[in-house]
Parts: sequence; C-alpha cells; structure tokens
Amino acid sequence: MAKLLVVDDEANIRLLYAQELSDEGYQVVTAGSALEAVEKLESESFDLAVIDIKLKNESGIELLQRIVKERHTIPVILCTAFSCYKDDFSAWLADGYVVKSSDMRELKDEIARVLAKRQRGTYV
Amino acid sequence: MDWECCWSRDQIEPENCPYIGEGEEDLLVSQRRRIVEKCVECPRFKNDLARMKGAGYPLSDVLPYILTEFQEQKTQMGAMLSFLNSKTREIKFLREVGLVLQTSLDLDEVLSIAMTAITAGKGFGMNRAFLLMTDKDRRHIRGYLGVGPRDYEEAWRTWEDIGRSNFTLRQLARDFQKTKLSSEKVKFHDILNQLTVPLADQGHIFNRALTGKKPILVENALNNPDLDRGLARILGVDTFLVMPLISRNRRIGVIIADNCITHKPITLQDMQSLETFAFPVAFALERASLYERLQEEVAKQKAANVKLREQQELIVKMEKMALVGKITSSIAHSIRNPLMVIGGFARTLLKATPEKDEKRGFLESIVRETRQLEDVLSEVLDYSESLFPVTDFWDLNELVGKAMGELEGALEQAGVRSRMELAPELPMVRIDYKQISYCLKTITTTALAAMEPGGELRIESVLDGDGVLLRISDDGKSLTQTAQEALTAPFFQTQELGEGVGLSLCKSILERQGNSLSILSRPGGGNTYSIRLLTRKENI
Repeated sequence: MAKLLVVDDEANIRLLYAQELSDEGYQVVTAGSALEAVEKLESESFDLAVIDIKLKNESGIELLQRIVKERHTIPVILCTAFSCYKDDFSAWLADGYVVKSSDMRELKDEIARVLAKRQRGTYV
Repeated sequence: MDWECCWSRDQIEPENCPYIGEGEEDLLVSQRRRIVEKCVECPRFKNDLARMKGAGYPLSDVLPYILTEFQEQKTQMGAMLSFLNSKTREIKFLREVGLVLQTSLDLDEVLSIAMTAITAGKGFGMNRAFLLMTDKDRRHIRGYLGVGPRDYEEAWRTWEDIGRSNFTLRQLARDFQKTKLSSEKVKFHDILNQLTVPLADQGHIFNRALTGKKPILVENALNNPDLDRGLARILGVDTFLVMPLISRNRRIGVIIADNCITHKPITLQDMQSLETFAFPVAFALERASLYERLQEEVAKQKAANVKLREQQELIVKMEKMALVGKITSSIAHSIRNPLMVIGGFARTLLKATPEKDEKRGFLESIVRETRQLEDVLSEVLDYSESLFPVTDFWDLNELVGKAMGELEGALEQAGVRSRMELAPELPMVRIDYKQISYCLKTITTTALAAMEPGGELRIESVLDGDGVLLRISDDGKSLTQTAQEALTAPFFQTQELGEGVGLSLCKSILERQGNSLSILSRPGGGNTYSIRLLTRKENI
C-alpha cells in the first residue's frame, strides 16, 4: 500500500483528500503547514507527496525546492487554484501538476501515473 | 507774307491744318503747342522755311539746325518715355508678383504665380517655361512643372481665352492652379522626365547658371559646338533662357523659358526682367518648400502625440486591468477551496449513497452546480491570467499545427474536416505562445459550434505587411451583429455564442499584445476570424 503525504493549510481539504485517497487504497498522512510536512518527511518515509502551492507561511514551491535540495527522493505532485504556475520554472521540479477541483479524478490519475513511473524505476 | 502753314496764327479753324486729329482740338487755340507738336514736322512749314530763306530772312539759315536738334531731342525723349513706361509697368508687375509671393505659403500657389507670370502676356510673355527643382537629398535637379502650349493651335486658343478675360495676375494664377496645374504637370511629363541632372555635374548648363548666379541665354544651340545639343533636342528649340533660382546661397532650382511657338527673339531686357523676378520666386519657392516640410513634420509630431496619448491611456487602462486581475484572482482563489470542499464531499457522499436513495438527486445537484461554478472560476482565472502575458518569438505555423492536433477529437466529433493553407517561410511572430494557442483553440471551438456535419474549416496563414495574418474560416451560419458585438464584452450572452468570456478574452489577449482580432460574416453563410500578429517588438 503506497503511503502519501498530503500538505494543505485547509483542514477540510485535508479531510477530503484523506477520505478520497484512502478510498483509493492509499495510506494517507496529512500536514497543515510546510514545517509540519518537513518534520513528517524527516521522521517517516513516503512514496509520494501532494502539496498545495498556496500554504499559509511558506509557498508549496518553496517546500518543493527544500524537498529536492535535501535529497528526499520522493516524487511530488503540486496542487493549485491557478493554472499559471505551470509556467513557473520552479514548478517544473514537481513530477505532476494538478489544478484543484472537486472532481478528484485528475489528481487520482496523476498519483497513479507518478507511482507507476516510480515502480518502473524510471523515477530518479 | 502769306504763309502756307498755320504757325503764325494765334487761333485757327480745323480746316486750316490737316494734321490735327480728333481729340487734339485744344491745339487749334494754343499756338505754342501747335508749333512744337505739329508745325515742326509739317511739310507746309518746311515750304514756309524755304520761302523765308529765299526772301533773305536772317534766321532762316539757323532755324533748320535748331529744328533738327529739337527733333532729335524729341525722338530721344520719346524713347526714354517709352522705356520709362515699360519699366513702370514692369515694376508694377513685379510688385504685384512680389506681394502675392510674399503672402503665399502654398507651394502650388507659388508655382502657379511664378509660371503664370513668365508665360502670361501681362507678365513676361514667354511662350513656355519649365521649372526644375533641387530634390530633397540635394543630389539632383529634377523637372517639376512645365507650362505653355504644346502646339500652335493650343497656343492660339489659350491666348485668345486670356485676351478675352480681364484677369489680374493673381486671378490668372488662381485660375491656373484650379484648372490647369495638375494637367500641366502631366502634359510635359515626357520632357520633364528627361531634365534630371546631377548637381555634381559642374559642366552642365543648369549648374553653370547656378554657380554663376546669372541667367544664360542659349542661342543657336543645335549648331553651337560648346553646348550640349541634347537639351535643345529635348526642348525642341535652339534658343532658350536658363534662369537660376537661388535663395540665401541655396540652389533652389532653374527656370527654362523659351518662345517655342512665336520664335520671338529673347532680348537682353527680357533677361534682365526675368532676373529681377527670379529672386522673389526663388525665395518664395524655398519658403513654401520649407513650410511644406514643416507641415509634414508638424503632422508627424501630431501623430506621435496622439500615439503617445493613446499609449498613456492604455497604460492607465492596463494598470486598472492589472488591479482588476489581482482582485479577481484573489477572490477566485478564496472561492476555489470552499467549492472544492463542498463538491468533493458531495461526491464522497454520492459514492456511498445507494442508487435508489432519494437524497442522491440532491447530492448530484450539488456536484453538478459545483462543477459549473468551478468552470466559471477557471474562465475568470484564465482572464486575469491573460493580463500578464509572457511574449517571445514563435513559429506561428508550428503553433497552428500543434493546436489543431489537440482539436482533432473535437473536429471528428463535429463531423467537420479541416484544411490548412499555411504560407511557408513566415517570419516569427512575437506572442505569448500559450495565450495565442488558447485563442486559436477558442476561435476554432466557436466556429465549430456554428457548423454542420460535413462542413469544412479552413485555416490559413499569410504574410501581411509587418505582421502575419491567421484566418480561420467556417462555412456555418453567419454570425449576427449582436453575436459579433459579444466579442468586446465579457459574459455577454447571445444565442449563437452562449455565455462566457471565450472570444472576448481572445480579443483582450490579442489587443493587449498589440495584435488584433476581427470577424467577417458573409451574408450567404460562413464566418472568417482574422488574427493579425506582429512580427516586431512594438506597440506592447
């Protein structure tokens, strides 16, 4: 069972992610801030992280940069309300990019795709 | 003695002197004037003198000397008077020309006055004149205008017309400017075209006249080995005058004048009169040319000012738009999360609700409405995003290829085939790739909505001045005026286009980047959407 870290500052969204992704058969751990996410990343191992770009005290992109920098080898999917972040070079560091929607099929597909890619060993 | 002539009488009757004509009746009662004006030349008086001599009158030997001297003096006086009269007329004429030239800033009016003055009988009365002017680069002297008749018949007709009218020089010039100026420019086109001479050609007669600042009278040109016969051949005369036009040491041009019809000799006096006239003409021509150039510069300046004002307004507008964009995106972002929570949990609940449960309908409504709100939100965010384009140079044909590739499914679904006619080797266009791609896809989707299955969508790219034109043509129903107006207003609703920001967003995106979008609806059916994209970095 793949273990996912979901980072979003909105409690309801964390709850929604936990509910929906657990239904898909994933083990879901949530974090409400970048700091909490870093702590969890340091203490536990994850197969994938789903990060909201807009966090309260730190942007998701900064968190993404920190993950890449500190050589956490887990893939990251960025979530946002804006599609324009696709053009941000920093966002290109992410393995996936999803515009937030109540229909979570796109996110679920993206998680499955990134995990499959990792399993095939093509993920670096 | 009974004298034959009436010189000895105080008063006479008309029958006493056959040389007193009508209007000279006052001489009948004025003996002194009669003697001076009539008797001294009268044969009867000569007979009386002879008789005096025969009779031994003492003064009869002296009188003939005095009379001869008197007649010579009288002839000289007459000649001087005639010269003075002609000079007075000339001064009057020059004054009239000077006044007109001083007050005119219109090049055409100055030309008309100058050329009329040279050729009109009331002026210098030359048959024909050509004006040559130095070009703007000051490298060549070029034929500009020719005035005069081309043949004897035309000359006769013109002179008869002028003879009948009692116009002043200014009136003649105005009449010429109004009715003849443009036709005269064309009439001598063949001759004028052959009169171009480089200013550097010092040996040419035009440049010799300009350097010497003196008119040159060319006579017997065809037989004079010192002269270029070509000019005489072009003009068709062997006697002509080359008058330099110089103002403040600047070479303005040259006037060539001749009597091609009457072949009347050009006198020294003609030359001197024209020389006096050439100075104000040169000055007026220079002033009018400078004024014309000044006007051109003023017009350019005005246009630049208008453009600057437009740009300033655009900047203010863009700042406002940017603010609107920021507010919009902030609101949209705040709404996106709650919507996601509402819709997301509704979907979760829906999954767990049995098929037959009546609450399922309610949940489905929540999911559907949330989805719709999210779509509107995406459009609003796309709109605010369009306010910050990232432009670079891209190959338009490649963009079209990729965008249309993405729309293959939609075309297939609509049963519409596409035909691409893309011009090869187009220059790169300066665009925000993503936004233009969005515009092309939105326009194509809009066009597809108006088309019937089996229709054809044509996409063309062509070079258009400093830009590239991309045309998307459908063969569907023509859009109404209202539908076309929807282009300019976001969320404007029409039956044809539905509601939304699609095309209005495209127009906004394109115009913001200095490009344009226009729609042409053909009455018989079919619409063409034209996007004009710039190839240079400007207007952004």
